[in-house]
Amino acid sequence: MKRDRFENWLRNIYETEEEEISCTECFDLVSRFVELEASGENAVAKMPQVKLHLNQCQACRDEYETLRELRRLEDEGGTPSLDDLQDLIR
Amino acid sequence: MSKTRTNEEWLYDLKASGTAQEAAIADLRNILLRAVLFLFSRNLGDFGGLARNEILQIAEDCAQEALIAVMNHLSDFRGDSKFTTWVYKFAINIALMTARRERWKGASLDQPSFSDNGAPFEWMMRDKSPELAPDQSAMQGEVREIIQEVIEHDLTDKQRRVLLMMVFNEVPMDEVVQRLGTNRNAIYKTLHDARRKLKNGLQARGFEVGEMLTLFSAQR
Repeated sequence: MKRDRFENWLRNIYETEEEEISCTECFDLVSRFVELEASGENAVAKMPQVKLHLNQCQACRDEYETLRELRRLEDEGGTPSLDDLQDLIR
Repeated sequence: MSKTRTNEEWLYDLKASGTAQEAAIADLRNILLRAVLFLFSRNLGDFGGLARNEILQIAEDCAQEALIAVMNHLSDFRGDSKFTTWVYKFAINIALMTARRERWKGASLDQPSFSDNGAPFEWMMRDKSPELAPDQSAMQGEVREIIQEVIEHDLTDKQRRVLLMMVFNEVPMDEVVQRLGTNRNAIYKTLHDARRKLKNGLQARGFEVGEMLTLFSAQR
């Protein structure tokens, strides 16, 4: 294990809480979390359990990051067209 | 060209019948397919040997699966986000899982560290920073030993196995889920229990994880 990873893992242990929400609960709440962020609100303060889960769970975090990016693109005039996206696949 | 709808209009049209519903479903499918393709375009490495048309077909299948998931969960939508944000997460979830699965297809997880009792923790003894003062180095060594002890003595076999796969061998969660025939919630719970035991076990042995973190991160 690389040093960075080991440190992150120690941090995960340090930040462990007795109660943490499940991946299903995170999935259920993450769209609201992203929406709060997009509207400039303090999503972390309002939904600390989601943030904690995202810190601990790489799978949910990967999904969240993509969701956040798609949400941001919407604000900037929409996701790319189907043709443009298909062109990116090669 | 897709019609722009408010959250209420989406729900109304999707629950309608006839052409209004057909148009809404077609638009929804387009949105989901774009989300899938967006994600695939960022993770093309996962599809290694596949041809372009195969990847596009997989994207179509993911969009279809996401469409069914969205329609089945319509009543769960609480309106606390844009409808499109809410539907994106179904597409992303299915697309990421599919991409990861594709990447790990055929990969063997039977690395030596899985069965051997001593080897898994060898890593903790390696990767010592040469610039460390001898006393710091000794403290780090002690921390590593104590972590190894907690892993070996306090964790169940299952917790140790999942920890080894995900934390030490960097196997993605969905691959572990598939190999063990379980689900994300169960794996998350297993890891959560392992982290709790580690935190408590270290404390019980007189080590504060916060101090450990300082010890390791201060030396960059």
